[in-house]
Amino acid sequence: MKVKIKKWTGVGTWSYKVDYDNCGICRQPFHGCCPYCKWPGETCPVVWGQCTHCFHIHCMAKWLKAQEPREQCPLCRQKWRYA
Amino acid sequence: MSNIAAQRIQREFNEVIKSDEAQKFSIKLEMDGSDFRHINGEIAGPPDTPYESGNFKLEIKIPDTYPFNPPKVKFLTKIWHPNVSSVTGAICLDILKDQWAAAMTLRVVLLSLQALLAAAEPDDPQDAVVANQYKENRALFTSTARYWTTVHAGGKQLNPDFDKKIHTLLDLGVEKHQALVALSACDWNLDRALEQIFS
Ligand SMILES: [Zn+2]
Ligand SMILES: [Zn+2]
Ligand SMILES: [Zn+2]
Repeated sequence: MKVKIKKWTGVGTWSYKVDYDNCGICRQPFHGCCPYCKWPGETCPVVWGQCTHCFHIHCMAKWLKAQEPREQCPLCRQKWRYA
Repeated sequence: MSNIAAQRIQREFNEVIKSDEAQKFSIKLEMDGSDFRHINGEIAGPPDTPYESGNFKLEIKIPDTYPFNPPKVKFLTKIWHPNVSSVTGAICLDILKDQWAAAMTLRVVLLSLQALLAAAEPDDPQDAVVANQYKENRALFTSTARYWTTVHAGGKQLNPDFDKKIHTLLDLGVEKHQALVALSACDWNLDRALEQIFS
């Protein structure tokens, strides 16, 4: 049997790459610190949500403030709850 | 501009330039000089839509509070689409408003706009006239959108019938874009378009 393709529709898809090395908000590496801090380490820890996504604590605080009164994960938009 | 916005835009640029979509010329980002706040975007019209073979330029303005607030995006290329103003290019898209999330990027915005061109949302319109035509007379909407793509975005599909009607108005001294807008809004009825322009 010969199949002739008459029509081909390309459908693009994309997904968020869950990047465990970089903060999804500032896109800087977790082993460094957020753009608001000068030095990596104790002053700029990483926070985790129950959705398993993580961000710099300072980046997350800024986002929650900007998004008030809603509180959603910047990546998956589920309700943000600290894990 | 705050540090984070500038740094993030720089990283996003590098990501877009290396992306598959950019390699295929389907999306493009260019900085306007060295200012991170003004970016020129471009998306290719998706295949099998009235926007096919057109290239649509976008104005992207980055607020100082980026990425905590969405970029401001509008079409510079005139387009006939229910979710885009045919006059100003303003866009109605949820992720550019209350559905924005800080982890979204300019690449996601451009791909979402491309998806919007492939699947309009006429129940949440930006341009009521276009949305109405989309719902009431889909075939005419499609040929009108295709014609706008040819006239403004470098599309290749010709329409001698529409050309003729435009020329009738041009001969009466009507400006070209005004003629296109009036005819498109009046379902290409010449009498109604004339009435709208000269009333
Ligand atoms: Zn961060
Ligand atoms: Zn920090
Ligand atoms: Zn999440």
